[in-house]
Amino acid sequence: MNATSPLKEGTRLKILGVDTSAKTASAAIYESGKLLGEIYADVGLTHSETALPMVKALLDLTRVSLRELDLLAVSTGPGSFTGLRIGIAAVQGISVGSGIPCASVSTLEALAWNLQDFDGVVCPVMDARREQVYTALFRGDGEVLQRIGEDRAVSLEQLGRELGNLREAIIFVGDGAEMCYNKLVHSLDRATLAIQSRRMQRASSVCRVGESAFMRQTGIVGPQDLTPSYLRLPQAERERNERLARQENSW
Amino acid sequence: MATYRTASVAETERLGEAFGLRLCPGDVVAFTGDLGAGKTAFVRGVARGAGFDGEVLSPTFALVHEYHGVLDLYHFDMYRIASPEDLYTTGYYDYLDTKAVLLIEWSENIAEEIPTDAIRVHLDRVSENERNITIEGRDALENFGS
Repeated sequence: MNATSPLKEGTRLKILGVDTSAKTASAAIYESGKLLGEIYADVGLTHSETALPMVKALLDLTRVSLRELDLLAVSTGPGSFTGLRIGIAAVQGISVGSGIPCASVSTLEALAWNLQDFDGVVCPVMDARREQVYTALFRGDGEVLQRIGEDRAVSLEQLGRELGNLREAIIFVGDGAEMCYNKLVHSLDRATLAIQSRRMQRASSVCRVGESAFMRQTGIVGPQDLTPSYLRLPQAERERNERLARQENSW
Repeated sequence: MATYRTASVAETERLGEAFGLRLCPGDVVAFTGDLGAGKTAFVRGVARGAGFDGEVLSPTFALVHEYHGVLDLYHFDMYRIASPEDLYTTGYYDYLDTKAVLLIEWSENIAEEIPTDAIRVHLDRVSENERNITIEGRDALENFGS
């Protein structure tokens, strides 16, 4: 740990992670490289009823008190409109009451970290409907991941073209992974699909990304600055441009 | 496809009630028809048929109202929805993925986002009080005595 690290040498960093960004919900407590506990549910959208009880149960289970936490990490998008707001609001509430800082974590980056040990290109994908996906690209060396592309919304077709230019092994992860794999596998012979148990959003991965953000002191914010990140769909962008063009012409 | 003629708001509601009794979890009902065609009256009946006793109003301002009876119902008004972004901010896609029933007024505004297996209900004004109501979907929802 270097001199500019926000923690004193030997101090353990305790993080609470929350993810309710899509169909699954999870909470995790993580302490300097070690997962202390995680609760995960995939039983439909009942996040508004389950997120906070999940956090409370997890704190009880791991015998960690809120006071001991150094960071609250939450996935802030892309994701479901209501899901993102439930997770963010829960974490904001805890942060306002406790003064613990927050980490705003990309849902896609956290998904990629489910496959931290992959050697090749990790491609998290979430279904944005109408043949469009939310995605980003990461390159792994078998130990850590480096981001090689920003979070964005693109058509499946374009993603297929871009991945076709890569010469490495590619793995899809995320709730859109299976759909993406099925549609693109015929043109991408190096592509594989993450196994089911590592495919969906996990709060433990949100903790890991939060930890790295804390070490770099980037993306660490107060509760008032935690906002859902919305990636504009290519199709919506097109429609918006058309609307603006029409307005300009009418002036 | 089946077409019914109703002669009053009360009859439209009763038809809606018979329809609501036959809905299943996960059904999406797309309504079309002009202002004053009786969509909200029909939905009021649907909610009663699905076991909800409370008040049913057009969700013009809230965009979506929830009714919880035997079934969970979400009543949308898409009148002011102009883009996929607008639609995203109603939470529509989240509701679509649940076992709830979706009742969508002004579905013509989100035509491309209506599931292909949705049940279609079109209301036409015939005179001051009379309406033609056309239902297209599963057989059990089209054909019932009213």
